[in-house]
Amino acid sequence: MVYLDNAATVPLLPSVRKAMHEAEEKFFANASALHTPGHLAMNKIEECRVVLAEMIGAEPGEIIFTSGATESNNTVIRTFEGHVIECSPMEHHSILEAARLYHGDKLPKLYSYMLYNNETGEKLELPVRDDSSFVHSDLTQTLGKVAINVKDLGLDYATFSAHKIGGPIGVGALYVRNGMLFKPLLVGGNQEHKRRGGTYNTVAIAGFLAALQYARDNKTWDIYNQSVRKLRDALAKRILAEIPGSSLNTDVSHGESLPNILNVSFEAAEGESIQLYLDAEGVVVSTGSACAAGDGKPSHVLMAKTGDAEIAHSSVRFSFGLDNTMADVERVMDVLPGVIDRLQKISTIKRS
Amino acid sequence: MEGQDWVYSDKVKDHFLNPRNFLMGDESKFDYDAVGQVGNPICGDQMRMYIKVGRDKKGREIIEDVRWKTYGCASAIASTSALSELCKGRALDAALKIGAKDIDDYLGNLPKHKFHCSVLGHDALKEAIENFRKKSS
Repeated sequence: MVYLDNAATVPLLPSVRKAMHEAEEKFFANASALHTPGHLAMNKIEECRVVLAEMIGAEPGEIIFTSGATESNNTVIRTFEGHVIECSPMEHHSILEAARLYHGDKLPKLYSYMLYNNETGEKLELPVRDDSSFVHSDLTQTLGKVAINVKDLGLDYATFSAHKIGGPIGVGALYVRNGMLFKPLLVGGNQEHKRRGGTYNTVAIAGFLAALQYARDNKTWDIYNQSVRKLRDALAKRILAEIPGSSLNTDVSHGESLPNILNVSFEAAEGESIQLYLDAEGVVVSTGSACAAGDGKPSHVLMAKTGDAEIAHSSVRFSFGLDNTMADVERVMDVLPGVIDRLQKISTIKRS
Repeated sequence: MEGQDWVYSDKVKDHFLNPRNFLMGDESKFDYDAVGQVGNPICGDQMRMYIKVGRDKKGREIIEDVRWKTYGCASAIASTSALSELCKGRALDAALKIGAKDIDDYLGNLPKHKFHCSVLGHDALKEAIENFRKKSS
């Protein structure tokens, strides 16, 4: 199998699996308990907090563990219930839906802009905070791919997720700058200094820690920027050269996008069909087609970017991880031209 | 459903991977009497059915042969393929009675949110037959 859906989930790193098995055995106790097993579990959690804080240029006390990016995003937006909330149109639904529910007209205002988009990989310009505004950024796709310093970025809040860097699904974090407004989403427990109720998810946090250590020790952002970028760019080049009717939705020039994401539209070929024909050939990708989403709407990101529903329905996202090789690019190009050619030939749409 | 590694049933998968009666490339390759089209690329699904009408031994008009094209998802491809198999050789009136549910049954059920794909196929065939009747009346 050639797995190119790493922007959705990165496979668990071996060191993460090991750390989680160890945590299941050694750190099973409730981390809030004052006895020794509880204390050992808490140590693991605090270790993760310190590692993440150091990686992003924050203080450990500014990190809150959550169940993942959706919870982190929801928490920030709901903190600003009744306030003016301005989001980029490229935001994840966990921002957009929450903003729709909670926005109002009070100041200070909250900006929510992701740094890099999950579908196209493209970089967004972050707003600058002033006396009457705060800035949140969803850094779910950024972590591990590009070095992060939340202070340099001028952020008040930031969202992180473990499963995009080889950690487990179901754990993430929220950076809240010291002194910022904050309203817990989950109440009824003293965990996380009363900022997030619920028993500490020690095993998942131990996995998150191992994934962060892997990223830190290997400087994964350098690997993405160099070798992974080469794979992404090689695929882009070959697709454009060898597949008629293809167009890139990702600006692959340096500094404009994450180095591991390539979003492409194929004229007259529908995305879900492309995805499933590729799946049958052992090539795993994702699509912005409405059919795949199941809600009848094509990707809001591609709609915001291009305004063209056919481009959105015909889009495929290839997202690379650290395990991919040039042989994977070759395998994709062994099957993709045939898949697209066949779909274009049976299509009701004539290529222009 | 346990152990099934695909999002669709085996029958849907078979019709998706090996579609029957589709029209590859230019439509001049098939000698048809009428065509029907529904949907549009904006919604993500468009289907077109081409029918060749003949007569059976009793002199009734039947769908002698059929081809189709689609811009659509896996269920759109599979349901149009299934419909093409179901309608071939049938009298026009009988072919008109092939409903979305017949297609869904034949395929061993599409996922719920994909049922509309089989409706589209039925509508495209209906339009092709109506166009044929308009033309020949």
